Amino acid sequence: MRPLSIGMLVLMMLPLVFLPLASIFIFGTRTGLDKFWAALSAPEAVFALKLSMATSFWATVFNVIFGLFAAYVLSRYNFLGRNALIVTISLPTAIPTAVAGFALLLLWGPYGTLGRFVTPHVEIMFTAFAIILANIFVTFPLAFGVIKPVFDTMSRSLEEASATIGATRWQTFWHVTLPSLRGAIVSGALLTFARAVGEFGSTILVSGNLAGRTQTAPLYIFAKFNEGQIEAANAIAIVLALFSFLIFSVLFFARDWLDVD
Amino acid sequence: MVKARETLIPKPVEPEPSLTDPPPVAASVVGVSKRFGKTSVLENISFDVAEGEVLVLLGASGSGKTTILRIIAGLEMPYTGKVILHGKDVTELPARERGVGVIFQSYALFPKMTVEKNIGYGLRIRKRKRKEIKATVNELLKLVQLEEHRKKYPSQLSGGQQQRVAIARTLAYKPEVLLFDEPFGALDTQTRVHLRREIRALLRKVNVPSIFITHDQEEALELGDRVAVVNQGHIEQLGTPFEIYSRPATEYVATFLGAANILEATVKNGGVEVGSAHLPVALDQEKFHEGDCVKIVFRPEDVVLSKSDFVRSGASKISAARIEEIAFVGAYERVRLRLDRGVDECRTDDTPYYLTTETPESQSTKAIIATRPKPEAAAARLQIGDRVTVAISSFTVLPAPK
Repeated sequence: MRPLSIGMLVLMMLPLVFLPLASIFIFGTRTGLDKFWAALSAPEAVFALKLSMATSFWATVFNVIFGLFAAYVLSRYNFLGRNALIVTISLPTAIPTAVAGFALLLLWGPYGTLGRFVTPHVEIMFTAFAIILANIFVTFPLAFGVIKPVFDTMSRSLEEASATIGATRWQTFWHVTLPSLRGAIVSGALLTFARAVGEFGSTILVSGNLAGRTQTAPLYIFAKFNEGQIEAANAIAIVLALFSFLIFSVLFFARDWLDVD
Repeated sequence: MVKARETLIPKPVEPEPSLTDPPPVAASVVGVSKRFGKTSVLENISFDVAEGEVLVLLGASGSGKTTILRIIAGLEMPYTGKVILHGKDVTELPARERGVGVIFQSYALFPKMTVEKNIGYGLRIRKRKRKEIKATVNELLKLVQLEEHRKKYPSQLSGGQQQRVAIARTLAYKPEVLLFDEPFGALDTQTRVHLRREIRALLRKVNVPSIFITHDQEEALELGDRVAVVNQGHIEQLGTPFEIYSRPATEYVATFLGAANILEATVKNGGVEVGSAHLPVALDQEKFHEGDCVKIVFRPEDVVLSKSDFVRSGASKISAARIEEIAFVGAYERVRLRLDRGVDECRTDDTPYYLTTETPESQSTKAIIATRPKPEAAAARLQIGDRVTVAISSFTVLPAPK
C-alpha cells in the first residue's frame, strides 16, 4: 500500500507542480547559458530585479516592525474590539490582490479620496513608493501571524523578572523579549519578503508598469512575455523561482536554529 | 479548607530569648488591601521583616500570599496601604526602581542568555564597568557553586541549578529584600529538601532580608525565622515556627500546620473540662470565662497511649479509646483512635457525665490521631481493637466560634 500511495502522490504533483517548475529551467537554458546570461544582464531586467528587492525589503521592514508592535499590543492587553482588530489585520491576505491594488488607486490615485489633495505636492501612485504600499498591504498579516503566537506563549514572568531587576521597558524589550522572538522575526521576515517579491496583481495596478521606472520582476516577466521575448521573461522567471527555493530552504532547514533556546 | 498533612516535621525548637536589641526593620507592609474588581483578596495586611530575617508567608493557593509578594515587588498596586523598604515609602515606585529581588517559581531565567549573562544582567543594565561585572559574576558563581556551568544556557541546567542562577542573578545588584515566590514548587521532593537547606545556608551567609511564599508547612517551619499564616486575604497568625506550631492562635493555623486533633471542651474551675477529665491550664482571663465553650488542640505526637490506667507524669488523661487503625509511616507509627462518647462535647450545664460501658453505642463519632516513634511502638505493641487510656502531654485552648 505504501509505495502505491507515495507513487500516487508524486504522480499527482508531477503535472501540477514539478513539471511547470522544471519547464522554466528547461526552456530558459535551452538556447545556452550565454543567451540566458545576456537576457539576465539586460539593463531593464537588472532594474526590475533591483526594484523588486528594494520595494520588498522596505515592505518587509515595515511589516515586521508593525507585526511586532501589533502582536505586543494584541497579546498583552485585553480590550473591547481586540478580536475585531485581529481579524482586520489578517484580512488583507483574503482580499484578491487586484482588489487591493484597485483600492489603493482609489485612495491615493490622482483623483482618489486622499490622493487628490496630495498629488499636487507629491506623486504617490505609479512610483516605487506605490509598490511598497501595495506590498505592505498584501503581506500585512504574515509577520504578525508568526510573531503573535510566540508572544502569546511567552511567560510574563520573564518581563516581570527583568523589571524587578531594574530594567526599563525598553531595556526589557531589547534584552529579554526581542531575543526570544528572534526565530519568529526571521521567519516572519522571510515569508513577507518572499511573498512581496512575487506580488503581481496589486503592483500592476498601482505601479503603472513603466519599464526601467516602476517595473518589478514579475511585471517584467509579464511584459516580456506579451512582447514575445520568451527568453527574457524566462531568465527572470528562473531567478525568481530560485530565489523562492532559497528562502523556503532557509525556513525549512533553519527551523531548529530559529527556535533554539 | 486544606486538609492537614501529616509529616515528619522535626518539632520546632523554642529559640533562646535574645538579650540584644532587635535588628532594625528592613521592610514593612502597612495596612495593605487589594481588590480585583469587586473581590477583595487582601484585607489590612501588616508586617515587618527585620534585617537579615527570613519571613515565610504560608497559605493555601488562593489565600492571597502571592499578591502580597507582588505588591512588595511593585508588580501589583495595593488598593490601600503602604510598602516601606529601609525606611522609604516605595508604594508609588515602579518595580524597577525598588531594588527588590524576586525569585519566581518558574525561575524566569532569560532563555537566550548564558548563566553568566543572566547573573550579570542587573549590573549590565546599571551600566557598571565590565571589570566589576566580571568580578561580581565570578564571586556569585562561586557562591552558588555553578562555576563550571557559566557558559551554559538555562535549558541545559537542572531545576535546582536554575533556581540557584535565579538567586545569584538577584544577589548581583544587592537587593533591599529578596522575595521568593514558591521557589521550590516545581521541584521533586528530594531536590526540594536539599535545595531549601542550601538556600537557608546561603541566606545566612548573604544576610539579605527575605520573604518566602509557600504552601508547604514543613518548608515554612524549616526556612522561616518567623512564619505568617495567611488565609483568605488576612494573616491568621505571625510568630516563630515554635509559636505557630505549638501555640496556634486559630483552628485554621492548627490544622494547616501539620495534623492536629481538635476536641470541644468547657472552661471549668480555672482549667478546661474534656469529657470527664479536668485539665488544669493557665487561661487568659480576658478571653476565657467560666462555662465558655472552647476547643482544645493537640498534635498527634502529644498523645500518650497506655494500655493500663496509668499514664506517665506530665501527661493528662482525657479519655479511654479503642484502636481503629494502625499504620506504619516510616519512622513512626500512626494510630487512629475512636474516643468514648462524651469526650468531644461542650457541656455548659451540670448534667452528670454518664459512665461508658464497652458497647459500640458508647463510642463517640470522634476519632483522633496519635503518632508514636518507632522505639515506643516496638516497646508497647498495640493492636486494632485494643482499649487504651488516652492522655495528652501538651495542648492549646482556642475559643470556639459562637
